[in-house]
Amino acid sequence: MLDFLFGHYAYWFTIILLCIGLYGMLFKKNLIKKTIGLAILQAAIILFFVSVASKVDATVPVYDSSIPVEQVANYMNPLPHTLMLTAIVVGVATLGVAFTLLIAIYNRYQTLDEQELIKKIHD
Amino acid sequence: MKYLKAFIMALFAALLIYAASDLPYRGDPGNRMHDQRSMVDSPVAGNYYIQEAYHDAHTPNIVTVVLGDYRSIDTFGEQVVIYTAGIITLLVLRRSRRRFS
Repeated sequence: MLDFLFGHYAYWFTIILLCIGLYGMLFKKNLIKKTIGLAILQAAIILFFVSVASKVDATVPVYDSSIPVEQVANYMNPLPHTLMLTAIVVGVATLGVAFTLLIAIYNRYQTLDEQELIKKIHD
Repeated sequence: MKYLKAFIMALFAALLIYAASDLPYRGDPGNRMHDQRSMVDSPVAGNYYIQEAYHDAHTPNIVTVVLGDYRSIDTFGEQVVIYTAGIITLLVLRRSRRRFS
């Protein structure tokens, strides 16, 4: 039972973080807050993958001549780290474009609230 | 209404936590993704990188070797993504400022 708890609590924290981000994206009215929710959701997924990559009693994936490389259990899995590096870069690009579009929307309609925006577009 | 939304998210979190109970323990070296050979007896990518990265590229940092040598085409595509995002940012901001100022 305790083994199960210590093996899984990292997953639970990332799941709770993901739900916070999803709540912001679905139910907040302000578009800036929706974008912040998107950022939180990305962070949760990146944390999940990095936490999956860890091994007990292993070092970071940097080659050290004193640690034999034939024993794979001595080093953490480098593949999730690499892929999440890519994901971080793509996430930053997404956020930049999203904030640019928000600035353009605000310049045109003088509001970022969803309901007011729909009303002003239909007028 | 606000409580209904929070309840929906709590339900979703509970569903995900229930699904996560089937995941292997975090940090257990005997996980399937840390195995030498996969289920269909093909070599697993992470182990190959750990064992052969220094021999192949003579760079100590394995993540750098994977990012810059094995997957360099992927990294190039990533640079294209950043470049496109920068161009879009420039174009949208310039257009909106010219029209509405």
